[in-house]
Amino acid sequence: MKFLGFVIVCLTGGLLLYGTMDLPDWGDPASPASTHLSDYYIEHILEETRVPNLVTAVLADYRGYDTMFETAVVFCAGLACFLLLRDFRPKKDRYFRHIPTGVMLHVKNPEIRIIPGNEFEHMDREWVPSDRIIKTVCRILIPFIQIYALYVVAHGDFSPGGGFQGGVIFGSSLILMAISYNLKTLMKRVTEKFLSIFAATGVLIYVGLGVLAMIMGGRFLDYGMLAPLVPWDPGHIRALGMLGVEIGVGIAVMAVMVIIYVNIVSEGRHDEGL
Amino acid sequence: MHIIINIFAGAFLLMGLVFFLGGAVGIMRMPDFYSRLHPAGKLDTLGIFAMVAGLVIYNFHHLSVAMVLLSIKMFLIVFFVFLASPTATHSIVDAGMRAGLRPWTRKKEKES
Repeated sequence: MKFLGFVIVCLTGGLLLYGTMDLPDWGDPASPASTHLSDYYIEHILEETRVPNLVTAVLADYRGYDTMFETAVVFCAGLACFLLLRDFRPKKDRYFRHIPTGVMLHVKNPEIRIIPGNEFEHMDREWVPSDRIIKTVCRILIPFIQIYALYVVAHGDFSPGGGFQGGVIFGSSLILMAISYNLKTLMKRVTEKFLSIFAATGVLIYVGLGVLAMIMGGRFLDYGMLAPLVPWDPGHIRALGMLGVEIGVGIAVMAVMVIIYVNIVSEGRHDEGL
Repeated sequence: MHIIINIFAGAFLLMGLVFFLGGAVGIMRMPDFYSRLHPAGKLDTLGIFAMVAGLVIYNFHHLSVAMVLLSIKMFLIVFFVFLASPTATHSIVDAGMRAGLRPWTRKKEKES
């Protein structure tokens, strides 16, 4: 069986390598991509969109459909993670601490309800005391990471960056909070409802901008038609449209990152993990 | 003036290289997990400080507001590395201790 697998891998790899022989050379000036497309982009992007970052212009404007469905794929990944992993069943073994006395309770009967509050608090099964150094440093770093993420999103059309990168940085700052404190601290601040709504909102902002362009009389995702909405700066309307789209992408990616992390780490229970 | 700037920048860059080299050699040569993290956490942090200081001094060739802003941003990188790198090392050591990995001693080496 192993040998068969090896043969199949070799065959497929060989076929793929054989297929690459037909591809144009690295940086070949006569390849189809650089004879028509690249020249057009390089020559016309600045006057057509007024966006200095060509990559963002191609990604969010000329290939807006592609990026829109990419965002939808990210959203679907979060949705699939939720549907496959989320576990609403009550837990069999629960641990509580009676705060005034410090006694630990191990509750096995799922029908007994203990409401955490002033008297009892939840305890994790593999609870470890949080480290003061890590907590303090993460508390200092997290706001800076988040501001940097917003900077990356907002600068998408001027410098390297954009919605996907900024969203990932923002999501990782929230994940850092879950790692340095615990999962409950994160879920208290960023609830599941909030995350789900934000993941959908991000995609909705993107599609909504496209539909808005249709309502204003253009084609889907034709940002130039939105110009009457910003009378003070109609020249940069394509850059602004891209910024709006990037914000949508950033929100969706941020929420989906956290949804995937939380669901995988806590086996869908959203109570403890890492 | 330019020569002085070049000398200082080169000296700082060389210093950073020495620290990085020491860190790399330490990671290869130290006997166990904890002592290997020691050069990784300390020397890399100081090495990046020396390197960036050298680059910032090199920026003095063209003194302008944009360059000063660039230098401040570079020092911000150093600041965050100074916070994050030792903390990461600390948390790895912490995890090792909690997982029950014993530190290396000379006695243990003789037994095995």
